[in-house]
Amino acid sequence: MKNSRRLFLKSACAVVVAASGYTIAKSSTESVEIDGKKYALVHDETKCIGCDACSIACREVNQVPEGVSRLKIEREGPYGEYPDQYFRFTRKSCQQCEDTPCVKVCPTGAAYKDPETGIVSVDSWKCVGCQYCIAACPYQVRFINPVTHAADKCDFCKETRLKEGKQPACVSACPTQALTFGDLKDPESNIVKVLKSAPNYRSKTELGTRPKVFRIASREGEVTL
Amino acid sequence: MSPFHFDGLVWHWPIAIYLFLAGVSAGAITFAILLKHFKLGNNAYKSGFIQAACLIAPLSVFAGLGILVLDLTKPFDFWKILVFYNGTSVMSVGVAVLMIYQLILFAWLICVFKEPVLNWCHGRWPLVNRLLSALAKHEPSITGFLTILALSLGAYTGFLLSALTTYPMLNNPVLPLLFLISGLSSGAAGTLLGGVLLKGNPDGKEVHFIHNIEIPIILVELVLLFTFFIGLIISGGQSKIAALTAIGEGFWGWVFWGGIIIVGLSLPLAFNLFMKASSKRKFSYVAITASCSLIGVFLLRNFILYTGQMTVA
Repeated sequence: MKNSRRLFLKSACAVVVAASGYTIAKSSTESVEIDGKKYALVHDETKCIGCDACSIACREVNQVPEGVSRLKIEREGPYGEYPDQYFRFTRKSCQQCEDTPCVKVCPTGAAYKDPETGIVSVDSWKCVGCQYCIAACPYQVRFINPVTHAADKCDFCKETRLKEGKQPACVSACPTQALTFGDLKDPESNIVKVLKSAPNYRSKTELGTRPKVFRIASREGEVTL
Repeated sequence: MSPFHFDGLVWHWPIAIYLFLAGVSAGAITFAILLKHFKLGNNAYKSGFIQAACLIAPLSVFAGLGILVLDLTKPFDFWKILVFYNGTSVMSVGVAVLMIYQLILFAWLICVFKEPVLNWCHGRWPLVNRLLSALAKHEPSITGFLTILALSLGAYTGFLLSALTTYPMLNNPVLPLLFLISGLSSGAAGTLLGGVLLKGNPDGKEVHFIHNIEIPIILVELVLLFTFFIGLIISGGQSKIAALTAIGEGFWGWVFWGGIIIVGLSLPLAFNLFMKASSKRKFSYVAITASCSLIGVFLLRNFILYTGQMTVA
């Protein structure tokens, strides 16, 4: 009796460990193959003047309530001595990761990557508001929408402007053409041309999230160690 | 930086209470199983300590889940977590573990209290009699499953946080083990405290048995805490910053050194060693030692949750 119980415990433990290990390992090596488009965005920080036209247009088009935002322009500076002063502007919004921490942790599948466009979205009906995705996002761009009580964030205007066949609101609103939006899979697209013509970087690539918001670095700013 | 309000804070104290209660439940039932299996046998239900553990385990897991549901931004939609499932989500796996755990927990409780329940029924309902006997026949399997599920539950709360790559302090392989071990020690403390309150003998064989396991558990917990923070500091970068923010000066530094290391671990260890030397244990010794352990684990959950979210990768 005692031996059989011990054997049972051992084998049951082994099965549990093997099964869960297999699931996790499989999920991390397998990347979703998407046949459709792969939308991405370039923010040219050398052109950005920090006017906030993009974030205001985003709020308007996507009806983002007061107190929360899908898009913010963060200002650093001023650098330099008067009258040669300048600021540095960086975009804070969903990075549309290829390897998505938020989708991985979502218990209900409310956070998902759209197979047609590669855009990371939220199904607000499925979302229960556990906030696991908000904690999992290393870019800290997710928030709870005070109206729907579901997690919310930038979706490249998938449900608004993109549906109408237009560019995202921020891209259209930008007065200096600092934003370029398009399909990375189309070699003739503007975005691919921009990315090939200027050196660019992405935020926190060391985390392996493969973000699809590219940045062309501002010449301004400090050199820090 | 205010200790309870800062940028990047997503999960607040209700989550810490849930993490604590899940650990207590898993720990209490583990010790109930050990006591029944190694010390008490079929008369287990007569022991105040078994009674305490069997009350604490279901009540604390219910309370924890209640807090968890209320903490959702859409509490009425909680059922969607049970219907939809995502295999890559640690939370999904945890929900499944929690559901099966509760089921097997009740099956085991029925097995343990079979005799008093049958006496109470007086053979009035033959169906109850048959059902209980059928369950009791499978008691060894139920016990085995419950052991695995309780340990999984204890480790799960740690995995829940360690899956977050956002926070270098939480994204740490030692965390699930630390949570499992501290959860076991809080379950032991809860069982002891509840047991002596339910008129269990503070010098009984149950207390001696649990105390004997408690000493190595406290020592392992100390080693794990050491490994946890040394690992972070050696990793450098944001991990090092996260570790030093947590255990350095300030509110949470005091909680760590004063609350967790001294009150939660050193005092219970000292009391346990002292009780081993002294021949007779008293109610107050057992109660105070257990309370210190419980406070320590509760503070540890809050400390890890809050300081973990202070530094972003």
